[in-house]
Amino acid sequence: MYTNYLSWLLLAPILLSLAAFSARWAGKLAMRVAEVLHFITILVVLILGLLVIQGVLVEGSVVALNDWLHVDALAAVFLLIVCVVGFLVGIYSIGYIRNDVRTGELQADQVSTYYGLFDLFLFTMVLVVTANNIIMMWVAIEATTLGSTFLVGIYGHRSSLEAAWKYVIICTVGVAFALYGTVLVYSDAVNFLQRPEAAVLWTEIVKNARALDPTLLKLAFVFILIGFGTKAGIFPMHAWLPDAHSEAPSPVSALLSGVLLNCALLVIIRFAIILEQGIGPEFPQMIFLIFGSLSVVAAALFIFVQRDIKRLLAYSSVENIGLIVLAFGIGGPAGILAALLHTINHSLVKALMFCTSGNILVKYHTRDLSKIKGMLQVAPFTSFVLLVGTLALIGSPPFNIFISKFSIFSAGFFSGFPLLMVVLLLFLAIVFAAFMKMASSAVFGSLPENITKGDVRISMLAPIAVLVILVLALGLYLPPQISMLLNQAALISIHGNAAADASISLLNFSNSELPIAFLQFAQLFGR
Amino acid sequence: MFGFNLINTLSGLLIITSLIVIETRSLRRSAYYYAVQSIVLVLIFLTLAVTTGQKQLFLWAASALVTKAILTPYILLRGEDRVASAAPPPQAVRPALAIVLAAISVVVSFVVINQLDLKIANEYKPALAVSVAHFFFGQLCILTQRNILKQILGFCLMENGSHLTLALLAYSAPELVEIGIATDAIFGVLIMTILAVQIYRKLDTLDAASLTSLKG
Repeated sequence: MYTNYLSWLLLAPILLSLAAFSARWAGKLAMRVAEVLHFITILVVLILGLLVIQGVLVEGSVVALNDWLHVDALAAVFLLIVCVVGFLVGIYSIGYIRNDVRTGELQADQVSTYYGLFDLFLFTMVLVVTANNIIMMWVAIEATTLGSTFLVGIYGHRSSLEAAWKYVIICTVGVAFALYGTVLVYSDAVNFLQRPEAAVLWTEIVKNARALDPTLLKLAFVFILIGFGTKAGIFPMHAWLPDAHSEAPSPVSALLSGVLLNCALLVIIRFAIILEQGIGPEFPQMIFLIFGSLSVVAAALFIFVQRDIKRLLAYSSVENIGLIVLAFGIGGPAGILAALLHTINHSLVKALMFCTSGNILVKYHTRDLSKIKGMLQVAPFTSFVLLVGTLALIGSPPFNIFISKFSIFSAGFFSGFPLLMVVLLLFLAIVFAAFMKMASSAVFGSLPENITKGDVRISMLAPIAVLVILVLALGLYLPPQISMLLNQAALISIHGNAAADASISLLNFSNSELPIAFLQFAQLFGR
Repeated sequence: MFGFNLINTLSGLLIITSLIVIETRSLRRSAYYYAVQSIVLVLIFLTLAVTTGQKQLFLWAASALVTKAILTPYILLRGEDRVASAAPPPQAVRPALAIVLAAISVVVSFVVINQLDLKIANEYKPALAVSVAHFFFGQLCILTQRNILKQILGFCLMENGSHLTLALLAYSAPELVEIGIATDAIFGVLIMTILAVQIYRKLDTLDAASLTSLKG
């Protein structure tokens, strides 16, 4: 039964996106037809995605198509992000794109193309997180670039075409490196896995990782990190990211930052697991620590000088992806749990912030922070969510990121990296200051002339309100289903599969090796 | 033995055709030379299929013939038709320097590949080194050319390099894998070409150096 859900999770969006493309021939109704098809797509992806995740909770994992698709707890965490954030941002898209059509930013006949591409992009990301065939993982990542290039450049301005060009060139060149890493792993695995069909499967390679050649593995991992790291926005391969994130329509920015970066990260983690099973965790952890810290430091410096709200948010994504990578580098149950939790939390908050920046863009017609002032008088609800989002993003309680950032740093302190943590906290202080300055000057301050009063339409506020609720809720309470997924995902990261000792839970971790912080969190969660 | 030698020789031919693709000033002629190179690649796949007895490599050869020797050059030529009036941007790096860089990437690839122990491909080490070098050629083309359509050709060269690596190291992989990679490649060329034409219509230039409004 769950196998069917998984097959349909991939089939449905691709068929529906093709239908959305062809809505352009529906004459005057084209826009409405495309909207309806788009709504059905995101709803179907949400429902089927949640059903598959339920399957993982019940049965441990869900497979389909001769094991080519495989959703374990680790994939389920990312699938949850794809389908929930994809759905909310998809809803926000409808109001946002209608507004673009009203103001003449987009032509009505471009709308079906937009939704076709949006849903295709969503499909490619579902494919990334559900793929079990390592070469198909690469194909899927490459497809995410191709699917989203025209979304980035859809406005057709000089700057958006430039951003789209940089995006497609940098990412295809970068991701091509990862193909070498992937092929190296496969060609080595095929030597001892008798059936070539098995040597492409991640699950089979992990089981036999000890037989892989250590030198080849390390070389392959460097290629993988450069390649997929480009897509994940890890410094110094992040060059495309601020341009693409700032020039794309805001819902697309939310999808790029909140979902796509994580998908690329998942594939890197998959290969890191192969390495950890094959040659031990030291090498991938060292690489993660280096690149994670560099990303945080570099992003903090860029954030400090930003005058463009969407570029500010884009660099904040580099910073947060850096933190997640860092947490994987810290390793151990504490580091990995913190990393996974931060992945979910950052995704929600960043989707919230990019959608909010979309509302600001609608009111002020600019991304220039020196011109965005006095929002409280114009758009009170948008001001409120901007404040909430900013506080959440910089890690203030009671919002979700507070817990995951705190967990990352306490894991770091207790796992032997206190000095590094202190240095990084100093850089986070810069980020903190920059974001507080941004939010206070945007919300308060004197209102520029020619801004009509009144908040944006309800269709662009409702999805943001849901995100606000989620951000707050996950800061106060972690549902047992999610904590079970996180536990199992952490076990997969450590042992290569969740079956080893599935009885271990968050609370048990805290008894043995988890820092005190997590013990408090465990009590806070009521488990 | 003859098969291995033929493969290694043909891969040498790949290097020469790439240099011609990169150094040819006329975009139309570069596209034709690219088609020629893709035929060399198809011949390598066929030789590999005969020497290794792996039947699916015939399929690879057929799909490379269709996508790389016919469709890709066709898309590029159609794109070039639409920008026919464009003045060619200057070259960012002098041809002599580009050839030196290419030579360096060949040497480095040979040295690195020689140190690896790739059990299933030890007979093809020269060909493998060429494929890796070819991949770097493509990157070199993207970095040194200011003409965005020429950068697309760089992407195509890169693809030919990685496709050869794939054929040498992963010929036994299920066919669907190869189909996926070939599909990505063809859509990549299509999307980049459409985007390049859009850029030309908006900016009235094909010069990548004029794409510098976004910074910091």
